[in-house]
Amino acid sequence: MKMLVDFQWKLGMAVSSDSCRSLKYPYVAVLLKVADHSGQVKNKSFEMTIPQFQNFYRQFKEIAAVIETV
Amino acid sequence: MAGELEGSKALSGLLSGLAQEAFHGHQGITEELLRSQLYPEVSLEEFRPFLAKMRGILKSIASADMDFNQLEAFLTAQTKKQGGITSDQAAVISKFWKSHKTKIRESLMNQSRWDSGLRGLSWRVDGKSQSRHSPQIHTPVAIMELEIGKSGQVLSLQMKMKAQQQKDMNLNFCVWNLMKSRSINS
Repeated sequence: MKMLVDFQWKLGMAVSSDSCRSLKYPYVAVLLKVADHSGQVKNKSFEMTIPQFQNFYRQFKEIAAVIETV
Repeated sequence: MAGELEGSKALSGLLSGLAQEAFHGHQGITEELLRSQLYPEVSLEEFRPFLAKMRGILKSIASADMDFNQLEAFLTAQTKKQGGITSDQAAVISKFWKSHKTKIRESLMNQSRWDSGLRGLSWRVDGKSQSRHSPQIHTPVAIMELEIGKSGQVLSLQMKMKAQQQKDMNLNFCVWNLMKSRSINS
């Protein structure tokens, strides 16, 4: 199982694209650095819409709350 | 012949077909398919410029993500143009955009997203543990499984996170939340 080494995030606003001149779409981009058992670190990145990120955040808050009680 | 291009029901179907092809990535919706299904009495030579005109109008509306005021102004201008559209056709286009706008916008947003999305998230917390080889009690650990990938590809990533990392991330999220409420709502 991989270990989380670092977590980086970026809040972006896609303004325009070749398929849509007026996008106005906010998103959160996340970069995870994970290490396998040999110590080799790899990057995994993904994007979330704002509602997805809010759910992601809610889950993390739940985890934090549970970890405190264990 | 021109009268046959003015039917509302056929135009509604045409716009659906155009949207499927242009925004929702549906392959195989050719001009011949649209003509034979929706305007069988019209020749291909006459149908082609009509299709191009409707496609152009739909793309302009979607590209600008027009609100209803902008849409009305735009369609009114199209009815006044030489070789433009009739007011009946404008009404059909207006009705189509109002009911399909959200879905089309979602497809356009997906087309503009090039990185993988988060498809799923599940987690568990493992409590204190000890092993035969390690007398030390391990601290609680959160294990997360993220499904990351575009449609058709899924990468399962299990990660162990220690309690302190959890707290650091929580702090990061609080900062984010603060930034969001200032930038998006302004």
